[in-house]
Amino acid sequence: MQASRARLFKEYKEVQREKTADPDIQLVCDDSNIFKWTALIKGPSETPFEGGVFQLAFAVPEQYPLQPPQVRFLTKIFHPNVHFKTGEICLDILKNAWSPAWTLQSVCRAIIALMAHPEPDSPLNCDSGNLLRSGDTRGYQSMARMYTRLAAMPKKG
Amino acid sequence: MQNQEGCDGGGGGATSCEFEDWGSFGDEAIIQQKSEISDEAQKIPFVADKEPISALAAEYQSGSPILLEKIKILGEQYAAIRRTRGDGNCFFRSFMFSYLEHILNSQDQAEVDRIKAKVEECRKTLQSLGYTDFTFEDFFALFLEQLDSVLQGSESSISHDELIIRSRDQSISDYVVMFFRFVTTGEIRKRSEFFEPFVMGLSNGTVEQFCKSAVEPMGEESDHVHITALSDALGVPIRVVYLDRSSCDTGGVSVNHHDFIPTTSDLPNSISGSTQSIQPYITLLYRPGHYDILYPK
Repeated sequence: MQASRARLFKEYKEVQREKTADPDIQLVCDDSNIFKWTALIKGPSETPFEGGVFQLAFAVPEQYPLQPPQVRFLTKIFHPNVHFKTGEICLDILKNAWSPAWTLQSVCRAIIALMAHPEPDSPLNCDSGNLLRSGDTRGYQSMARMYTRLAAMPKKG
Repeated sequence: MQNQEGCDGGGGGATSCEFEDWGSFGDEAIIQQKSEISDEAQKIPFVADKEPISALAAEYQSGSPILLEKIKILGEQYAAIRRTRGDGNCFFRSFMFSYLEHILNSQDQAEVDRIKAKVEECRKTLQSLGYTDFTFEDFFALFLEQLDSVLQGSESSISHDELIIRSRDQSISDYVVMFFRFVTTGEIRKRSEFFEPFVMGLSNGTVEQFCKSAVEPMGEESDHVHITALSDALGVPIRVVYLDRSSCDTGGVSVNHHDFIPTTSDLPNSISGSTQSIQPYITLLYRPGHYDILYPK
């Protein structure tokens, strides 16, 4: 508990210091609980998520950093490896390939990379995965783009 | 980094018994089996009590005669075994306990000074590879703390019993294991050209991918590559004694061992060129998939 708190505090300071280093990621710690974080990440360019801003919720366990943070999308997203209802993310570094060498910040980068490179063979969202697996890239992109517009972009007017 | 297999939400009905249909092994069944395996492993503490070699023989009572023969030979050379938990960290955990116990018994200040210099090199290696300090410094600090405390004569000194207690305390034991994983990954990546052919024999990816997926994560089992890298990085020789069912045709069973001798030139008592004289003080017993600690007579 003490160790995880100390580590998170270091990450907090790093985030404050490097605020401008990665303009695609904005990590914010909860005011009253250092084990709760949220992040805003920009959808990577040349993907159906371009132009969208996606919110992630982090729940950090007491065993952190020996155990990974739990991360899910709060913003609705149509992606093969993200559960459409719960926002749960299927990514190895959040499960068995986790190591303390990762940070909350680098986890955000990994999630952005996953957005750009979906893995349709292990889908959490089967509809999305099936479109890609059947070669219907256009179908996948237009669905993903539609949800980006509906859920991840500021409402106009 | 990659997206992992087996996340597919639905899964099949885990209760149906049609073995032809592999789809019926759903996530729940897999998770249950995994937790059964880890329950089994947790019956043994991270580092168990010393047992006579005869305890090993009892385990194989009705097993292979080759193994029983080999255990008899082991018993001639070794006095005791100390088991470690089979949680994928057994090599690192065995090394941790064995090394700290050696320092506790020998009170070898020169060795402590030597390894501290090595640890500093490892720190620099990780920095030069681009690891952020705060991701590894806590693990380094905790190891150095244990190292200081096994040396007697200071306020923080600990007894052998306390060393065992700490080795069983997850918040210390796992941190030291993780320290060794950082050291190992640093060494492999620093000398990636040397390690590449060995890594290719174990995985399909690059050296970096191997380190990310098979060295750094807790619970990933160790192979020759890990042992070589850790031994080289810290300059600590390690003997691994193999207990498996292999035997030679010429009759006569023997127990093989392999000595991992650090390639670095700054070993104490090492005359350049002759590695023969180095006697490892860390001896591990390898049985396929697992490492325990051995105590010579």
